[in-house]
Amino acid sequence: MSPALVLGGGVDALVAAHLLTRAGRRVTLLNEGLAARSLEEGWVAPQLSRELGVEVTMRRIDPWAAIALPDGGTLALWQDMGRTVESLQRLSPRDAARWPDFCARMAALARVFEEMYTEPPANPLDLGLAFRVRRLGRQGMEDLMRVLPMSVAELLDDWFECDALKGALGALGILHLQQGPRSGGTAFRLLHHHVGSPPGVFRPPRSDLGMLLRAHPAIETRSAAVARVTVRGGRVAGVVLASGEVVEAGLVVSGIDPRRTLLELADPGWLDPQLARALGHIRRRGVVARITFKTPQPKSALLAPSLDYLERAYDEAKYGRVSRQPYLEARASEGGTEVHFQYAPYRRSDGGWNAARRNELAQLTRRLLPGLGDAEASVLAPPELEAREGWPEGQAYHAELALDQALWMRPLPELAHYRTPIEGLWLCGPGMHPGGGIVGAAGYNCVKQILAG
Amino acid sequence: MKPYDAVIVGGGHNGLVCAAYLARAGKRVVVLERRERVGGAAMTEEVFPGFRFSVFSYVVSLLRPEIIRELDLPRHGLHILPLESTLTPLHEGGKAGDYLAQWNDHDQNRRELARHSLRDAEAYDEFGLVLHQMARVIKPLLRMAPPDPASLHPRELLDLLKLGKHFRDLRPEQFNALWKLLTMSSADYLDEWFETEALKATKAASGIIGTLLGPRSPGTAYVLLHHYMGELDGVFRAWGFAKGGNGSVSAAIAGAAQAFGAEIRTLAPVSSILMERGRAVGAVLEGGEEVRGGRVISSADPRRTFMSLVGEQHLPEEFVQSIRRFKFRGASAKVNLALGELPSFICMPGAGPHLRGAVSISPSVDYLERAYDDAKYGEISRRPYMDIVIPSMLDPAMAPPGKHVMSIFVQYAPYHLNGGWTDARREALGDAVLDTLSEYAPNLKSAVLHRQVITPADIERVVGLAEGNIFQGELSLQQMFFLRPAPAWSRYRTPVQGLWQCGSGTHPGGGVMGASGRNAAFQILGRRA
Repeated sequence: MSPALVLGGGVDALVAAHLLTRAGRRVTLLNEGLAARSLEEGWVAPQLSRELGVEVTMRRIDPWAAIALPDGGTLALWQDMGRTVESLQRLSPRDAARWPDFCARMAALARVFEEMYTEPPANPLDLGLAFRVRRLGRQGMEDLMRVLPMSVAELLDDWFECDALKGALGALGILHLQQGPRSGGTAFRLLHHHVGSPPGVFRPPRSDLGMLLRAHPAIETRSAAVARVTVRGGRVAGVVLASGEVVEAGLVVSGIDPRRTLLELADPGWLDPQLARALGHIRRRGVVARITFKTPQPKSALLAPSLDYLERAYDEAKYGRVSRQPYLEARASEGGTEVHFQYAPYRRSDGGWNAARRNELAQLTRRLLPGLGDAEASVLAPPELEAREGWPEGQAYHAELALDQALWMRPLPELAHYRTPIEGLWLCGPGMHPGGGIVGAAGYNCVKQILAG
Repeated sequence: MKPYDAVIVGGGHNGLVCAAYLARAGKRVVVLERRERVGGAAMTEEVFPGFRFSVFSYVVSLLRPEIIRELDLPRHGLHILPLESTLTPLHEGGKAGDYLAQWNDHDQNRRELARHSLRDAEAYDEFGLVLHQMARVIKPLLRMAPPDPASLHPRELLDLLKLGKHFRDLRPEQFNALWKLLTMSSADYLDEWFETEALKATKAASGIIGTLLGPRSPGTAYVLLHHYMGELDGVFRAWGFAKGGNGSVSAAIAGAAQAFGAEIRTLAPVSSILMERGRAVGAVLEGGEEVRGGRVISSADPRRTFMSLVGEQHLPEEFVQSIRRFKFRGASAKVNLALGELPSFICMPGAGPHLRGAVSISPSVDYLERAYDDAKYGEISRRPYMDIVIPSMLDPAMAPPGKHVMSIFVQYAPYHLNGGWTDARREALGDAVLDTLSEYAPNLKSAVLHRQVITPADIERVVGLAEGNIFQGELSLQQMFFLRPAPAWSRYRTPVQGLWQCGSGTHPGGGVMGASGRNAAFQILGRRA
């Protein structure tokens, strides 16, 4: 059997490489020399770790959100629902009373996605899907139809009054997205991140899946970048590395984003012009900077005090400006404290990124999150994340996860089943269904399709 | 006196359409209208001596052609004059100069677009074709009573299967294109087609009308379709102005209803729905008079119908919850001007054919988005989006000889204004409109003889539309089709026996379509549309 190549440094590529190996294929992983993360954020489906034969450790922090309140107190949201109710009680008895019902209803919806995420995207016109949805019962169906297109702000305003609670949940609706909490479709994002977590926990766990797979000796990994994917007679023939070396292969599985894979790497001329045009329209706007502070003590904090705060942060990004009052989330990392800074747009209206502008982000973060002191900071703005992580335009999910680029539309309806028009060339990255934030599932689904075909 | 078969609350266009169809089927029908004339938001008034205005709603396009045909509206005085162009004056670097004009004439339009972008001129026809196809997919749904997807009732299941078949018969790429339209923002959608800012903005503007959303808000692309659904004399995309103002649309429908035998009572304000043994049996007027009928049909918006006319105590708790969360959030205002002379636009000075069409103040997508940013936090847009027509150019009878009326649709003016609406804030809105518009047409301020400013609060007070929402409830995806106005109650029935709804708060919603009134009548008569 001809050897297989898997491209990309992400965890989806790793999963695909290992599953193919376990299926008896000879596999080489070309990881582009990208940075390796020790922990991956997102749910790992149990069948995935089972089939990979690894014992994945999921780390869930408790409380999963600790929100500093204006009066100096803290609102803690715990893994245990009862404890969350207690801590909400102090701020709003009304919200505390509603929390269990809200959690149960969101969990019921998230379960629908849980099933759909570990298989190729369902055809929306398939009767099977209709029956699956009807199984939810009247309440669940009504919730699903209403919640999917909604903005996360509208959903939360329907249920709660406490700004701190709504801000913390709203942040999960906009994570890595060039939209604000009042944008339609962001309630779906809240559900997306809820998939796989127990009722009442909306922050996904972190897992060591990537670390385990990298340590696994079964596959050959080369730290090489791909310059071209060669195509002969409509069939993939292999790749040409940046060094000029030619590697032949009959099967190439790309964890690199779909647009780059097909428009930049693959030999031109094999795509239908319509498809090429549609690929060019895939939205993948990066909006996040990652800042690591070398603090002696790791620090964790969440700055998302209200939905309006988040919305105003987004307002700036719409016009290509960095938020003056960004959504910030700090947590422990190997190097000290790692801060998620949103919004920092890839394309700035005032020109490009440079060292001084990156430094401004660190300064602003220091001002907004007390306790970082003058710890040395390294800032990865979207262009650096693009280079280091292979995130196109700095977009962690390779293609924005919005309703028109989700499920059977991800990244495009023609490509949603991981197969490309070039025979033997497949896509397996987070730009594919179910998308970023669900660790390894795209790689898993892709390999299932390859082996079935 | 023999009781009526149907008592219709509210004489807006939907109430009148419903009355006409019921009367046509031989029912004894009475329409109860609070004001001294019918029409609701579709009415003409001589606001200033000699100057007549379509005070609220001001153009016609979406009025269903089957209604025009079946009720023979032209015979009752409906005469629609087409608007031939849309002019978008530009405003680069603070200086007005160039413009983008869209003409109904295909070649003229193409030449003008090519002046801005050859690519856009080429994409324009294909764009029109795609939207036209999508509109054809949507149109059959407009005349359908949406089934309840959770029901096990055989009739509902049958309708669900039919609906499923409608979509399954589409080619997958058609279904996907429709999904994109439903879920994307108009800005993102248009970015896939065009590069000229003014073209994108002017098209995107149709997606934000009537909602508190901006062009970059997902869910706004769908409304682009509305522009391709209008059919005047079989011509797609034509927008028109009713001779005599939009009041003549209402008058024509009322005339048809009366010709079929419906009775119309004006100055008959309904204070509540008359309930007996949990059933609606008529309406109670403010003076205490009871008007009884076998069925009561409300064309008022869902909040007014259920929260004020019926009362929560007669309704199931869950239904009350749904009606409470139904979003209105009016965001649109009107400024009506009586003019001593025509405006002269810097980009196209003097009189000309462009004044017989619409003028759109939408120079760029960012401009519209900024206008929304203000409103999002409860402020009037400092520089608002405006859609302007000069009806007296098409129908000289609207103004004294040599003088003109100008109708300006303004967005955004949020109903929930910080500090609330006052006379001073209303005038501030009028000033913002005139200041902005004067940058494009400097003679405007001196040409103004009178001005009338209508805020969402005024619309609510005068017409009765909750929060001044012109569609009787936002047309966002979570308030459409199955879910309009509440899940399980999208088929014009209500949880109250004998009470029906026929207003724009039901499927398919607003825009002077009349479809809600017609669909409701067919449901009541037990017929398929």
